[in-house]
Amino acid sequence: MPMDDTPIQVTKRSLFSWVRQSNMKLQVALLAVIMLTVATRVLPLELQKKIINEAINLRKLDLLLVYCGLYLAAVVVSSGLKYLINVIQTYLGQEALEKLRKELYHHILTLPLNYFRKTQAGMVVSALVTEIAPAGDFIGQAIAVPVTNVLTLLAFGGYLFFLNPLMACMSLAIYPLVLVIMPRMQRSTNIANKKRVDVTRDMSSLIAESITGVHEIHGNASYRIENSRFDRMAAALLKIRIRWNLLKTGTKSFNNFCVSLAPFLLFIVGGWLIIEGRFDLGSLVAFLSAQEKLYDPWKELMDFYQIYQDAGVRYERTMEYFDFPPEHTIHLTGRAPYELDGSLGVEGLTFVADGGITLLSDINLALKPGEHLALVGFSGSGKSTLALCVGQLYKYTSGSLKLGGQEVADLTKRDIATNIGFVSQSPFIFTGSIKENLLYACQAALESDSPEELAKLPSLDDQIAVLQQAGIFVDVLRFGLNTILAHDQESELAQRIIRVRQGFQQDFGQELAGEVEFFDPQRYLHHSTVAANLTFGSPRKPEFATGNLSRNAFFLAFLDKQQLAMPLIALGAELTQTTVDILSGLPKDNVFFEQSPIPPDQFEEYKQLAELLKKTRLKDLGEAERSRLLDLALRFVPGRHKTASLPLNLETLILEGRAGFKQEIEAADPGAFAFYAPEEYIYSQTILDNILFGKPKSDAATSQEKIYQSIIQCLIAEDLLEAIVEIGMHFSVGSKGDKLSGGQRQKLAIARVFLKRPKILIMDEATSALDNKSQSRIQNLLETRWKGKSTLIAVVHRLDIIKNFDKVAVMKAGKIVELGPYDELMAKKGSLYELVHGKKS
Amino acid sequence: MSLSTERNPECRPGGACEFQENLSALRQVDFFSSLPMEALKVFAYLCARESYHAGEYLFHQNDVEGKAFCILDGELRLLLPAEGGEVQATLYKAGDFLGGLSLLGDVRRLFSLKAETDAVCLVLTREKFKKTLDQFPGVMPRLLEAVAERVLAWENQFIHDHADLCAHCHARLGASLV
Repeated sequence: MPMDDTPIQVTKRSLFSWVRQSNMKLQVALLAVIMLTVATRVLPLELQKKIINEAINLRKLDLLLVYCGLYLAAVVVSSGLKYLINVIQTYLGQEALEKLRKELYHHILTLPLNYFRKTQAGMVVSALVTEIAPAGDFIGQAIAVPVTNVLTLLAFGGYLFFLNPLMACMSLAIYPLVLVIMPRMQRSTNIANKKRVDVTRDMSSLIAESITGVHEIHGNASYRIENSRFDRMAAALLKIRIRWNLLKTGTKSFNNFCVSLAPFLLFIVGGWLIIEGRFDLGSLVAFLSAQEKLYDPWKELMDFYQIYQDAGVRYERTMEYFDFPPEHTIHLTGRAPYELDGSLGVEGLTFVADGGITLLSDINLALKPGEHLALVGFSGSGKSTLALCVGQLYKYTSGSLKLGGQEVADLTKRDIATNIGFVSQSPFIFTGSIKENLLYACQAALESDSPEELAKLPSLDDQIAVLQQAGIFVDVLRFGLNTILAHDQESELAQRIIRVRQGFQQDFGQELAGEVEFFDPQRYLHHSTVAANLTFGSPRKPEFATGNLSRNAFFLAFLDKQQLAMPLIALGAELTQTTVDILSGLPKDNVFFEQSPIPPDQFEEYKQLAELLKKTRLKDLGEAERSRLLDLALRFVPGRHKTASLPLNLETLILEGRAGFKQEIEAADPGAFAFYAPEEYIYSQTILDNILFGKPKSDAATSQEKIYQSIIQCLIAEDLLEAIVEIGMHFSVGSKGDKLSGGQRQKLAIARVFLKRPKILIMDEATSALDNKSQSRIQNLLETRWKGKSTLIAVVHRLDIIKNFDKVAVMKAGKIVELGPYDELMAKKGSLYELVHGKKS
Repeated sequence: MSLSTERNPECRPGGACEFQENLSALRQVDFFSSLPMEALKVFAYLCARESYHAGEYLFHQNDVEGKAFCILDGELRLLLPAEGGEVQATLYKAGDFLGGLSLLGDVRRLFSLKAETDAVCLVLTREKFKKTLDQFPGVMPRLLEAVAERVLAWENQFIHDHADLCAHCHARLGASLV
């Protein structure tokens, strides 16, 4: 694909440039099809005349058949070609839209951070998703529609002149008039349209703002204020939209009116000419058809004109909105990214933000490669700002900031990515797996995503090593242990896990009896579902899966026989009522639903059921409702779901049912269940539960810690630790990493930067969400492994970890007030001393 | 919701009874007592019951673990680590609530907390607390009032108790003017 060396920024491009850049082969093919189409459009007119004048008038049946056959063929071909044009148009348009969208998105991501502080995300979404779509439609039509229709018009016009010049002039007289008046009307429409785009944009911002701040509105019950703000805007939009629509339809109606005047002129003049004997009837029919047919291309042209205007306005407005240059070059062709040596030199650095606020002033600082600098000071003193300037995330306004002797402002983003690692205060974790997030920075620094480049990514061993360094190893191991293996797959792994189970029983079975509820056939399992307590096995057939049991005829008959059906439905009803009572109105957040027997996606259904239960007795409920209640009861885990408890008599009944169930199912359908047995892998349970051959009793940190420490030992003995961690690395972190805790997100971000091993490492309060131990371990690691190898600039909130930094810079109001080694500054009893020991009064 | 208690005469761990117990325990706590029932129910549902053996630490000095504890049973001892050991500070008993501040902000522990006897606590984490508050915006002002009252009451008591003992401490007074 030929590309300019310096492509113009996407927002500077005109709408037509996209037409030029579209698929030329398709465009040529399109033109060829158009030529054919025009021919097949004119042919029927001539045939019409011939059918009337030659075949009908002269009563020649054979000619009639021939002409009619040709007519039919022309119509069929013309319709087929019209469809073909549409197909090509669609391809052209959608391809162009895709390109436009991609390029605009690529551009938007490079805009300065500053820009996004002032921009609502919703605005960008609507611009990319809806506002530019008409531009794509336009680009598809940009050549085909005008060319087809202008040619058709010319052909019809020419044919009319060929038939009768006078009559042709009569019927075409209207069009120039339209051509003069239409653009004027369109101009008003455009102005209205621009206003509409602007007001719609304001409205989106207003909605986005009030939705984000909805708690404030609820808190103040300020519905009236917010409603009136919105109502005013809606009213303004109403006015504008009405005006815009009226102008649009007005333009159309005017056009229609003019065009329908033409037949009137034809009948008057043509009829008179025929009566006078200067014109024949066949020609008049042909004329009338041609006149009618003129209308279609003309209408299409006019519609196209309006689409063009509308697309133009939207396109222009959208592009204007994003028309800012990126602050830094992304990538420079012609040279490989610099390999900087890690030295930092700052001279007279000043950063004045918009509005003339000085955030940094006259900063002077020098670091040798591998030196570690701590930036301390109160919040707002500029320490983060300085770190962000070094990382090229802020563009300083004057002075010099050099990394490895190169001015940071002149470096490309690739240079930065190659040499700098950055961990921000609240690192962003993207949707995907742990592994994808871990490799994010390394992958970004690659030249491309080709297999040869991907082979340069760190090995699994390296990945696991940094997980350990950052202290997230055990978390990932947990994710792995909480995975449910796919049914009957990885049977080798399953066999090895059973060996781990045996080791665990031997070494820790006694010790952890207080922490784990083992799968004991004689006892009720409070940390397993009611269904598992009854079946005491994992289903091998889908109809026996826990979710389907409440509709399984065999199982229902069994419950009835054991007199369990009614008590379980009653339990389901109680669970429904209490859970709905507590969780009603809360968002579908994991925090709220972790201990709820009702999963978030079914909450609405159970909420309705709870309403129903208020006025209906259990035995009067329908089949479907009873089945829902039973389903909930079967999923109930008394040890986890706190909204109800399991009555003791029901517990006894269930335990008695367990033996009966095994007997009956083995008689009726042997092999439907794999019963829990110490030598069998249980595919319906997690790896953890398989190793424990039971379930942990508590979520409390201390008991979990005990369990995991023991399991780690057993896994090491079986050489399975890394395999399980690798499974855990495929754990999906959820949108924005919301399945991870704040600490886990920070650790993951630190692991990510450790894996990259940059020359210069910037950490902006990167360990603020970590517990003491993790923070000290990471600090330790930085001192032992990184000192002398990578330059570190750390914004530090906690002052007890800065003792071993090479230099400490104390910042106050955008200036460095003290700079030097920790001991020296402390001895001076200046600002640092004050920060550490608090202000002396 | 009387249904549940009728059908469950025994109190067993992990049941509605636990939820009801949690609820009544939280209602006894100053920090929560003024809150609307809807919010209190969510807190009672979200807080976890944890047991500690005598001698076990609930947190150490400098931790930022973001937890508040409501003691259901047993005694907890606050310890101030010092040169050559720990100085014993306040002793907390069943019904006491501690750690409310760490629900409101990043609180780095000044003390360590150790179970003096076997103990059971209701534990609420900052994350759960914060997400719940987001849903009940009216709750925050009431909580702040409760905290302000507590700080004021504490300093008032302190002045009263130590006015004569600690002359040079006067220079340090003013916590309630925060």
